[in-house]
Amino acid sequence: MSLQAVPARYRVASRAAETHDTVTLGLEPVDDPIAPHRPGQFAMLYVFGSGEVPISISGEPGGPGLVYTIRSVGAVTRALCEAGPGELIGVRGPYGTEWGVTDAAGQDLVVVAGGIGLAPLRPALLAALAARERYRRVTVLIGTRTPDDLVFAGELETWREHGADVRVTVDRAAAGWRGHVGVVTQLIDRVDVDPAATLALVCGPEVMMRLTARSLGARGVAADRIRVSLERNMRCGIAECGHCQLGPLLLCRDGPVISYRRAAALLTVKEL
Amino acid sequence: MNDAVPASALADHAFLRGMPADDVTRLARAAVAVRLPAGRRLFDEGAPASKCWLLTAGHVALDLHMPGRANLIVETLGRGDVIGFSWLSPPHEWQFGAEVVESAEAFELDGATVMVLCDRHPELGYQLALRLLAAAVQRLQATRIRLLDLYAVPSHDAGAR
Amino acid sequence: MDGPIPADGPLLMEAAALDPLLDALRGAGYRVIGPTVADRAIVLAELGSAADLPFGWGVSLEPGGYRIRRRDDSAAFGHSAGPQSWKQFLHPPREKVWSARRTAGGFEVEAADEHAPRLAFFGVRPCDLRAIEIQDQVLGRGEHAGSRYAARRAGVFIVAVNCTEPGATCFCASMSTGPQAGPGYDLALTEMAGAGTHRFLIDVGSPAGADLLAGLPVRRADDATAGSARSAVAGAADRMGRSMPADILHDLMAGSAGAARWDDVASRCLTCGNCTMACPTCFCTTVEDTTDLSGDHAERWQLWDSCFDLDFSHLHAGPVRSSPRSRYRQWLTHKLGTWHDQFGSSGCVGCGRCIVWCPVGIDLTEEVAALQAEAGQAGNSPGAAPQAQTGGEPS
Repeated sequence: MSLQAVPARYRVASRAAETHDTVTLGLEPVDDPIAPHRPGQFAMLYVFGSGEVPISISGEPGGPGLVYTIRSVGAVTRALCEAGPGELIGVRGPYGTEWGVTDAAGQDLVVVAGGIGLAPLRPALLAALAARERYRRVTVLIGTRTPDDLVFAGELETWREHGADVRVTVDRAAAGWRGHVGVVTQLIDRVDVDPAATLALVCGPEVMMRLTARSLGARGVAADRIRVSLERNMRCGIAECGHCQLGPLLLCRDGPVISYRRAAALLTVKEL
Repeated sequence: MNDAVPASALADHAFLRGMPADDVTRLARAAVAVRLPAGRRLFDEGAPASKCWLLTAGHVALDLHMPGRANLIVETLGRGDVIGFSWLSPPHEWQFGAEVVESAEAFELDGATVMVLCDRHPELGYQLALRLLAAAVQRLQATRIRLLDLYAVPSHDAGAR
Repeated sequence: MDGPIPADGPLLMEAAALDPLLDALRGAGYRVIGPTVADRAIVLAELGSAADLPFGWGVSLEPGGYRIRRRDDSAAFGHSAGPQSWKQFLHPPREKVWSARRTAGGFEVEAADEHAPRLAFFGVRPCDLRAIEIQDQVLGRGEHAGSRYAARRAGVFIVAVNCTEPGATCFCASMSTGPQAGPGYDLALTEMAGAGTHRFLIDVGSPAGADLLAGLPVRRADDATAGSARSAVAGAADRMGRSMPADILHDLMAGSAGAARWDDVASRCLTCGNCTMACPTCFCTTVEDTTDLSGDHAERWQLWDSCFDLDFSHLHAGPVRSSPRSRYRQWLTHKLGTWHDQFGSSGCVGCGRCIVWCPVGIDLTEEVAALQAEAGQAGNSPGAAPQAQTGGEPS
């Protein structure tokens, strides 16, 4: 099977502003649709003449449409966040490894998200909630900057209704916020976890993932039952350009989802 | 409503994990089990500080009152946490306020009694001091992480280059 | 010679038959690339005739030094470690990947045409032959079987040349890539240029190679000549100026993250990236998306890139590998270590180009020896499985 050479064109079918700098786009295929994403995978999204960025799938698995949640941090992501319904976006993918949420069957599932890291986790969570009876406890811990930066804020109640224990904490409260204030690792200390029968999926800034994995480890969760989603500079997405190397790993091919057993040693080496 | 606390119950609390049994028994003399309904103000900024709480369930928010911003929450504490350091040293006044945000249960320790016990039993004082220090350090580290503003969009201005 | 080419033993050809050989390649539709003398170096260029080959030219090699010199024989292949490798033809420094144009409904994308001329590589050293095979693994096989690289590669005719005279900076023997060419050639020549004789032993490596020789003045080689050629090549293996402990390199690199040696080499390394440009296996690229002034036409180009470039590892607000130490470490530990994890072989073929073309003369065989010594002093057997360093922190 040969990797796709040029982007497949998709049309923006829907656009929803999640926060002041984050947008969720729903795309429908114009050219032949790409293979379906599995939760955790990403695609290279192309804006005409501007460039490409790697974005993880953030929408429900299944169906020809694609859903991505993009935060405006540079030229290409800004263009994506400004794209309106009807505009064409190029998509190459899906690439990378998946969360493998079904490996938590019969066990506790703990999803820990930091900031925009909730977006790559959302498809795994939705898949778990769609088959809720397969899992014991489903816990979602979300850390975000302020209450205004919370993505998918309108869905949390629906997740609770489908059987997830969802807790949100902010680094900094705004007036009127009556929820948790503090780092997301403080939430880990307060949830019930059966460390011998838990799968933890963690996504967010690298420091947050390291601290989260450490807290989970302190609760007795084994490193190979913690999965993180890593990020490095990506250009091609198809293991040909060499940019996304992290030690022995090519993150576009061996990641982005990596077992913390493999990741731990790599993340502690400065400038690896 | 406020019950005496058996040493065995106290020993289960994460804050006291590993404390020698004799010291836990002594400490139990200063403790009562309390139920804190949601909405109760545990203490207010500036009031005399004479107690601390070992939370066993629920959540308590530390807050600061600012004009125009009501009570802004600075940190939320939950099961396993110790609430209240200001009773330890002068001016023995609360630096923040605290409100029960989700109905809570705790062991309430009377500060004066604890100090008398520690004067008589320095080993208890040592054990408590170690744990209070560890809790303070943990909160300091968490605060430093929050100051890093990890979820902000990184900018090229940030950091020395 | 008429009739079928004997495929059960080496053949012999006089140097005078080089022109008919090149003609046969051109007649078969190939553009022939081979070594030539230009700009005071041996450079790869299209061969118009055998006269373009660098007869009688050799090279003097040292760390950070390359000079061509007159040989005292007329050998055409008596040189090594030129500034280029064959990768510039199979994996070009610049190529268009796709173009796109604005339309009423949005845009249309078109993959760049691949009008790959059929190339014959004439004079591929065994190290470079292995380098081609290594790049095939990275860029042309498995999921990359439909790539532009694979399309270019499919049509290439390879005439390898075994080495009888190692360059001063060569270490192919210890990397098991030479001086005898491994599989992958269509024809392999062993040059014998002495007093009054100039001929080539030929090994046929493929049916295409056998077919090419049809009608050319080649004959079965006699045992004495063949034996003499073989021992000349074997003898070269014993005269290498450098060597690498190939079997422990992966683990040595894996345990080296905190080594003090990296600071030492970083004090010399200019991070100029010459090594990555000269190295025949370095494959990293970047992409550039451009538009014309009207903004209606866009192109994506793929360009050679180097892990020494600060921008290479840019993430969020800055490079992950900011210090020269970390960038040199990345290059060497990838080439000698993690390449195994990623692609199943070493990335180094022992050609020595990085030593020659480094402006400050950094010699990776020397760096490896120093890292090995440091690991040994730290109490770690360099051949042991990766574990936490006992001495020194990861910096």
